[in-house]
Amino acid sequence: MEERPLAQQAPQDFRSFLAATRASGDLVAIDQEVDWDQELAGIGRLSCERNGPAFLFNNVKDYAPQWRVATNPIATWRRMAIAFGLPADAPVPRLYETYAARESRPVPPVVVKDGPCKEVVIPGERADLFELPVPMVHEGDGGRYVGTWDLVVSKDAKSDWVNWGMYRFMIHNERLMTGFPRPTSHLGKMLLDGYVPNGRPMPIAIAMGCDPLSHLAATATFRIGGNEADLAGGLRERPVELVKCETSDLYVPASAEVVIEAEVYPDRINQEGPYGEYPGYRSGEMGNAICARVTAITRRRDPIWTLDTTGFMDSSATTTSITGAIAIQRRLEANGVPVKAVYVPPEGAVHLAIVSVRRGGAEVAQKIVNVLTVRRALISKIIVVDEDVDVFNVPAVLHAFATKCHPARGIHVARYEGKANTLTPAYSQEERVTRTGASVAFDSTWPPEWPADATPVRATLDSMYSPDVQRRVLERWTSLGLQ
Amino acid sequence: MASEYETFVRDRASILSGREIVLTLRDLTPGRKKYRGVNVRCAVSRAPRPGEPLLWIRSVVGLRDPEPCSVRIVEELPDTFQAPPYSDFFEAIARAERG
Repeated sequence: MEERPLAQQAPQDFRSFLAATRASGDLVAIDQEVDWDQELAGIGRLSCERNGPAFLFNNVKDYAPQWRVATNPIATWRRMAIAFGLPADAPVPRLYETYAARESRPVPPVVVKDGPCKEVVIPGERADLFELPVPMVHEGDGGRYVGTWDLVVSKDAKSDWVNWGMYRFMIHNERLMTGFPRPTSHLGKMLLDGYVPNGRPMPIAIAMGCDPLSHLAATATFRIGGNEADLAGGLRERPVELVKCETSDLYVPASAEVVIEAEVYPDRINQEGPYGEYPGYRSGEMGNAICARVTAITRRRDPIWTLDTTGFMDSSATTTSITGAIAIQRRLEANGVPVKAVYVPPEGAVHLAIVSVRRGGAEVAQKIVNVLTVRRALISKIIVVDEDVDVFNVPAVLHAFATKCHPARGIHVARYEGKANTLTPAYSQEERVTRTGASVAFDSTWPPEWPADATPVRATLDSMYSPDVQRRVLERWTSLGLQ
Repeated sequence: MASEYETFVRDRASILSGREIVLTLRDLTPGRKKYRGVNVRCAVSRAPRPGEPLLWIRSVVGLRDPEPCSVRIVEELPDTFQAPPYSDFFEAIARAERG
């Protein structure tokens, strides 16, 4: 493995990441008292909407000075670059390339006997979730959410498969939480397939404040049976150090700031939600959740709580932009689609993907939407463009969509039931309950059956002018001092 | 008992019937435990009654009815309801109401 200077390595814990973002000017620390009840998250929310900095709140109302709260760790491309150990101004395609390269070189975790997350151990009977400075994120949410930027560990009942996911959990009382990992999520699948049929509680561990690439790995669209801890090691280019939980056989990142150990009931529920989510809305997807009882809390002596102030352009905008796009590209390649590049633009709130292909047409567009909706369907709009369109150049993509997508023949729909994204604001309450929905591919490619000598020619300098004229125009442009 | 609660409902009319119902309430008392949940059997009065805690009703998307009600708590219930994961919560509390 290539050994690089420390400044060029991915931060190996949350505190070194905060130090790096502070050094680059991407973190603002606030020493004045801030209210955990909406005000704190409101500051983080505004920052997301203005592409602003991360915040570290050093003085949280009602909580002792030992507690601090950090918001939106990697909600901007700059902070994502820092998480990878790259220069903060690294362009987005380089971040994609870095993720894809490191993803293909997984590094297994190592087990250690102890870690900072064990400095304070609180057994379940003394645990109190209200001792944690869990912010109320939005006015009108169903409650206070511990899991907006977390890493939830669960284990398959029948195999060695360990899942890391990022799932929301809401406080009900001192020891009870409700959560919304979708039934189609890997955690949901483990619970429904391996624990509920046998009436067994499922252990989970919610780790807060790990190194940012471990959280990124938790958000990744990873194959069933895949171990995100290996992925995290690959992304960090160093193994993740794991330490055993107090009340289960699960292992969590030893550098975590706080770990909540719990058991999910196989036969009990309680109210969960509503919650303002990553699509940028509070859609009313409440009342279909899981319920977990805390069995222990372990933490650092001076922990930093973390949250993502979810909504438009939150951390999922960048994390899923990368992990979702690479996963889509891999899946399309595996299914024989002639894909060249994939981009999931942050502004699309994980509902929109842009796919460029070496050969387009109706058949390819329909195949793309079919492949991407086989098991679950988080992306509902896919713009398919020819390979000469740069997927990262959104104006060029919009131009192709607006001009090349046939208003009738260019629309390719896949309808489904039981696997729709219940957070999609466009769905009715009835569709949300039955998880009924649809995805659509907008074929913005030239039909391959069109003869080349009759296919429209783009009216741009590089397409509709002779090389000699292009050269003279560019020389003139430069001589005028224009950029 | 707190002096002010909120609750989230799918069918607003059904909880304003005056009969005893099952609800999850969120305690709005300022401080560390604000938004703590409690499951109760209760009766809701559209016009707030003296001596009863105020109750704010929110919809499934969290919008708050501008006029508060009041709530008479008959008994506190266990903090979970019997049902498999991902069951419809509102159907579960309807079953709890029927006993």
